[in-house]
Amino acid sequence: MSVDISLRVNGAEHRLAVEPTETLVNVLRNRLGMTGTHKDCTMGICGACTILLNGQPVSSCLLLACQADGEAIRTIEGLERDGALSLLQEAFLRYGAVQCGFCTPGFLMIAVALLEKNPKPDRNEIIDALKGNLCRCTGYTKIVDAIEFVANN
Amino acid sequence: MASDKKQPDGQKFALESAKQQALWQREFQQIVADVQGQALGPNWTANSSPRNIGLPLPRNDVLYKVRGTARYAANISMDGMLYGRFVRSQEPHARILNIDVSAATQAPGVHAILTADEIPQDRLLVGTHDNDTPILAKDRVRYVGEPIVAIVAESVEQAQQACDLVEVEYESLPVIFTPEEAIIVGAYQIDAEAEGNIITEHRHDVGDVDAAFAAADIVLENTFTTEPIDHCFLEAQAGLAFVDSGGTLNLLVSTQYPHFHHEQLARVTGLPMEKIRVIQTVVGGAFGGKIDDTIECASCLLALKTSRPVSMTLTREEVFIATTKRHRLKFRQKLAATKEGHLTALELDILCDGGAYRSYSRVVAGRCVVHAGMPYRFPNLRVHFMTAFTNHVPSGSMRSFGVVKMAFALESHLTELAAKIGISPIEIRKRNGFVDGDVISTGQVLQDVGLLKTLAEIEPIYERRKRELAGVHGQGQMNPGRKRGLGVACLGYGIGYSGIRNPSTARLAVSADGFVTAFCGTPDIGTGSDMALTQIAAEALDIDLGRLRVVSGDSTKTDDSGPTSASRTTYFSGNAVCLASEDFKRQFCTAVAEKTGCLPAQVRIDNDRVIVQNEPLAFEQACRLIADDVDAIVGYGKFDPDIEIDISTYQGNAYPTYTYGTHLVEIEVDEELGSVDVVRYWAAHDGGVIVNPIGAEGQVEGGIVQGLGMALWEKIVRQEGFIVNPHYRDYLLPGAMDIPGELSVWFVETYDRTGPFGAKGLAEASIIPTPGAIAGAISNAVGVWPRGIPMESEKILELMGHYSADAAKSATVKGQPREPR
Repeated sequence: MSVDISLRVNGAEHRLAVEPTETLVNVLRNRLGMTGTHKDCTMGICGACTILLNGQPVSSCLLLACQADGEAIRTIEGLERDGALSLLQEAFLRYGAVQCGFCTPGFLMIAVALLEKNPKPDRNEIIDALKGNLCRCTGYTKIVDAIEFVANN
Repeated sequence: MASDKKQPDGQKFALESAKQQALWQREFQQIVADVQGQALGPNWTANSSPRNIGLPLPRNDVLYKVRGTARYAANISMDGMLYGRFVRSQEPHARILNIDVSAATQAPGVHAILTADEIPQDRLLVGTHDNDTPILAKDRVRYVGEPIVAIVAESVEQAQQACDLVEVEYESLPVIFTPEEAIIVGAYQIDAEAEGNIITEHRHDVGDVDAAFAAADIVLENTFTTEPIDHCFLEAQAGLAFVDSGGTLNLLVSTQYPHFHHEQLARVTGLPMEKIRVIQTVVGGAFGGKIDDTIECASCLLALKTSRPVSMTLTREEVFIATTKRHRLKFRQKLAATKEGHLTALELDILCDGGAYRSYSRVVAGRCVVHAGMPYRFPNLRVHFMTAFTNHVPSGSMRSFGVVKMAFALESHLTELAAKIGISPIEIRKRNGFVDGDVISTGQVLQDVGLLKTLAEIEPIYERRKRELAGVHGQGQMNPGRKRGLGVACLGYGIGYSGIRNPSTARLAVSADGFVTAFCGTPDIGTGSDMALTQIAAEALDIDLGRLRVVSGDSTKTDDSGPTSASRTTYFSGNAVCLASEDFKRQFCTAVAEKTGCLPAQVRIDNDRVIVQNEPLAFEQACRLIADDVDAIVGYGKFDPDIEIDISTYQGNAYPTYTYGTHLVEIEVDEELGSVDVVRYWAAHDGGVIVNPIGAEGQVEGGIVQGLGMALWEKIVRQEGFIVNPHYRDYLLPGAMDIPGELSVWFVETYDRTGPFGAKGLAEASIIPTPGAIAGAISNAVGVWPRGIPMESEKILELMGHYSADAAKSATVKGQPREPR
């Protein structure tokens, strides 16, 4: 038995029939081909699948697609404007905040949510916002640096 | 998994197969172009400087990563592809009496089921150094999580459901969970070839250790332990296997070593080498955990069996349960010194849990033996290193191949020794640390040693913080119940394989429109090595960085140059690129000379121009001039330093060069909780000339934070062979909250005369001093010496006499869940 839902992803409306048990991350990746949102732990701990649901960061592995019916979703694919990198993406790139890059989409989305809520966070507020996302390569410092740069510019 | 799409049924599928094959062919070519295009460039990085070495240039691949378009293996799909899953052992050691797949065969969506019975015995076993690991278990399982059956179906869910229907009948065998039990005479022999369950045993004896201990003023002796830990790269192993219309088996895979899989696949499938191609996708972290076979052989066999593209991705739980771990060690260390603080002898007796198959156990052992005592002079040294089979998941390679664990013990003892004789932990290291001309235990003479420079960098900070902290303690301004401490540790680490030749090669080709492609055998696994090689090539050729592309992860386009591991890519492949550049320039200048009617000696490349008899041409102009001949120009370089150790005597040149460093950490211990907060961290490294400072800093910072995790929290917990914490929820990784408020990284000025433009390598090294530095800091803060890592709060409390593990066990509260970090 499938459920008809509508997802507004990065401003575009998608109508589709999903299984009641399908998670949002699977629907984004497998149905909509939006593989920029990554999947790792599937327990809401690593943060690789972080997306924004009505502006709030959530783990899309813990959310059923039908729970997001009618809601506004933002993913990493929506960060560029007219083919140009956002300041945050540019900062991640320049500050060496990305190594293997698997965690990067989640960190970028968390950072977007933080800066929309609090455009001038201090370093501790940035670190606090990142506590639900894991990175094994960078040691976090350069991620914090990149976000701090955007906060100061 | 595309379960809304109606898949064609079998018959219809067959009818359409020719059409489908053509579609796949196009689709696959596009995917490969995409995957390789992301690594290729042309390099978009603008660099206005005429120099390329030492600049913090951003990496090409990162552009795709911040856009969310990077081609990780699990992001790649093909029309009508199938998904594979494994049935895994639920027994730590058992005979397989029967495998009943009848129900699974009937399950919806199932296309094929693979068991070991279908694989000829001489093709069943794989492995990096020894072919000892079955692709699928045949008569016996040796650890919980060992793959037994592989099933492909139209969705991941269907494949998993079918796996759940497979009934495996076991007959339990005696289990061995510690190396101590494994080596008892009469213990059940886990591996048919390994008498006494010994995977590898090494002895190394230099000088007269017994006499040195007898004559020593001070002797320290303790037993140290380390726990198994997981790499925790965030991207689980994943790949896509596809047999194309020409019959070539293609594998797109997240790996550190495409050529290894290529060679193994040829053996396992019986296909000729030229009918196989292994292409590395973007790799989401590896740290030594992606150089063994996991999904590679099974997915390829299933692609051949079904004639369909087959995708396999491990779950996080599978990564924890069924892929290699850092070895668990238990070792006794005995150290002798004079009262003036000169080290005179070191004795190590090491016993290691190798798990159920060999993987990288021998490599880890060899490296640990050579690194015993490093980076300090020990005139007398004795090492006994033994690794035994157990019924645990195989132990394998992980960042520093075990050296970090040895350093934990050695650096602990050095700091303790300094305290005993009343000198600073910096001073003891200055008195004993390697300098140019020192001879290591293998007889190799060292050169370009920057260790003392790193100590000199750290010393003033240590002295300043020591004074400041004494002031704080003296005035009682520290938070009540919290004690600060400083800890110092050093590192010395060999670049490349231990004591065996491990050449790397590079080829440079040029196009008529002025782009140069570097084909290098060692792939980029997320560290930015492609960028470093690009910078080296641009510098060596003296052309603009934007002209360069790198192809590094394709087993058909590059020579087998070994894996990207052992911190070897910048040094080995960078040197190969330099050699290839010289060859390239010779050929290129000759071609230009012929076209312009002058002598090759009258042509040279200078700052992105080609100077012909003092007349400058733009580089692309010169390329157009020789357009007909460019295909013939292939600059080749092979870097193969003279590395060889006689395994019976442990004498010879172990590595072509060594990287060094000194770390200083300031921590705060909560006396009531025993918990450790890392407050400040300083790291000074000698990595030779730094090719890309931002990339190098990132390697060091990342290694330090991995080291913090290893020192304080991370451990795989097992009960009766089952890993009981196969999730990030229960396996604690450092998070952003755990990083020190101040973290400073320096690179001292050194030049390695054997390196590419003076570079060494440093990717793994920064993890090495971290646990030892933290142990020293704990001792400095609260006066106790933890002898095992992780140095958990319970252990610290127990050492402080504030806690009893036995009392806690009998209490009703079974330990508190940790806050998310």
